[in-house]
Amino acid sequence: MAEDRVESLRADVIAFGRVVEGRFRQALTAVDTFDPELADEIIDGDAEINQRYLALEGECIDCFALGQPVAGDLRLVTAAFKILTDLERIADLATNLAALAETLVGDDTGETFAAVPLVEIGEFAAAMLDDALHAFAEGDAELCKGVASRDDRLNERCAAASATIIRQLVEYSGEADSPIAAAPAAAREVLVLVRDLERVGDHAVNVAARTYYMFEFDDALLY
Amino acid sequence: MSETITETETATESTTDSAQTTSGESQERLREEWTHYRFDGPPKLSVEDLNVWYGDDHALKDVSMDIPEKSVTALIGPSGCGKSTFLRCLNRMNDRINIANIEGSVELDGSEIYDPNTNLVELRKRVGMVFQAPNPFPKSIRDNISYGPRKHGDIETGLLARLLGRDDKDEEQEIVERSLKQAALWEEVSDRLDDNALGLSGGQQQRLCIARCLAVDPEVILMDEPASALDPIATSKIEDLIEELAEDYTVVVVTHNMQQAARISDQTAVFLTGGELVEYDDTDKIFENPESQRVEDYITGKFG
Repeated sequence: MAEDRVESLRADVIAFGRVVEGRFRQALTAVDTFDPELADEIIDGDAEINQRYLALEGECIDCFALGQPVAGDLRLVTAAFKILTDLERIADLATNLAALAETLVGDDTGETFAAVPLVEIGEFAAAMLDDALHAFAEGDAELCKGVASRDDRLNERCAAASATIIRQLVEYSGEADSPIAAAPAAAREVLVLVRDLERVGDHAVNVAARTYYMFEFDDALLY
Repeated sequence: MSETITETETATESTTDSAQTTSGESQERLREEWTHYRFDGPPKLSVEDLNVWYGDDHALKDVSMDIPEKSVTALIGPSGCGKSTFLRCLNRMNDRINIANIEGSVELDGSEIYDPNTNLVELRKRVGMVFQAPNPFPKSIRDNISYGPRKHGDIETGLLARLLGRDDKDEEQEIVERSLKQAALWEEVSDRLDDNALGLSGGQQQRLCIARCLAVDPEVILMDEPASALDPIATSKIEDLIEELAEDYTVVVVTHNMQQAARISDQTAVFLTGGELVEYDDTDKIFENPESQRVEDYITGKFG
C-alpha cells in the first residue's frame, strides 16, 4: 500500500512535469508567433497548475506522515517535494513569457528584437527540462550530469542576448524613428524575459540535481 | 504466525535473487564491509564470529560487531532473524536454555564474558536487561528498586541488619530516589513508594523496571522491545528516557518498530532471516541509503 503510494507520487510528478514543460513550450510559441489567444490560455491555465502543485505537495506530506518512508522511498519523496517547487516556478515563468507575448503584440515592437534568438534560447532551456524529467522517470544519473553541464552554455547565451539588446538601445537611442527608442519599456520586458529563460534552466538543473541525489545519494549537483 | 512464514519465504527469495546477481565470494566480502562499523575509541562490547544453535536450528551465523559505549545501538529485523538471541548472548541469558549451543566470543571492555571463570552475577549486574512486558515484582515500588542492591550486598536494611549494627536505610532511599529520577518516574511515584508496584500503569511499570535495572549501577542496558506493549505516550517517555540513558550507559535495544529505531538509535544493525547480520552502520545511513538491497527491501516493506 505504502509502496503504491510512493510509486503513484512518482508517476504524478512526471505527469505534472510534462504538463509544465508543455506550458513552457506553448509560451515560447506564443512569443514566437505573437499569438495573444494562446498567451491568454497559458495565463488562465496557471491557476490549474497551482492547484495541481498544492495537491501533489499534500500528497508528499501524506507520504511522510502516513507512509513514513525510508531509504529509496524517502529519497524519492524528499526529491519530489523539492522538484515540485521548481516545476511550479517554471510554470510561473511560462506565464510571464505569455504575458510578454501580449505586450510585444501591443507595442508592435517584437520584431525589433529579432536579432535576439529568444525562442531558440527558450528551446535550449526546454530541452534541459525535458532531459531532467526523463532522468527522473528513468533513473538516469548520467543524464542529470548532462543537464547540469549545459547550464553554463545557457547562461552564456542569455548574457549574449542581453548584451545585444543593450547594444541596440545604445546604438539607436539617438534615432527618433527607431522602434526600440520608441518603446524602451518593451526592451526592458525582453531583458526580463531573457533572465526568466535563464531561470528556467536553473530550475531544470535543480530538478536534475534532486534526481541525482535521489538515485545516487549524492548532492554533488545541488550547488 | 502466517506473517512470520511470509517474511521467511520472501526473505529467502530475496537472498536467492542477490546470489544470482553477485557471486558468493564478493557477496561475502560486501557483507563484511557493510557490517564492519567504524567508530572512535575502544568498543564497550566486541562480538566476534558468534554462532548460536538451538538444537539443529542455526539461529545466529558468524555475527561480528563492535558496539560503542554511551550510545544507543538498535537491532532490527524480521521475526526469527536472531536479534533477540543476539541480545541475550550479551549477558549470557541464553545459558539458561538447555538446547542452546553458543560459539564465538563476546568481550565486555576487552574481557571475554564466555570465559568459564566469569562471575555471572557480576556480569548481569554490569549488563542489565529490560524485557518486552513490564515485569515488576509483586512488592512495593521501593522494594522493587532496592531488591537488586540488597541481593548484591550493596545495602543492608531491616531487623537483621539493625541487630548486626548496620542499617543502610539512608543509602536505600538514595538509590531508590536516584534510580527513579534517572528513569523519569520519581515525580509520579515519590509520594507512594510503599504502594504495590503492580498498581502502576503499564508505562510506569516499564520505567520502574528500567529504574530497577539502574539501581545496581550497570554499564550496559539491554532492552528487548521495551515499548512494544505500551501506548504512544508511554512509548514516547521510554524513548526519551533511552536517549537520556545513553549519556551515561551503553544501550542496546531490539525493536520491531523501525521508526523507533530511527528515532532513538545512533547506530543500527539489521539482521535478516537466517540469523545473519547484513548491515550495521550509522542509523541515518541505514535509513537513508543502505548498501544492501535486501536491507532496503526490508526497511521499505518490499521483499524480493
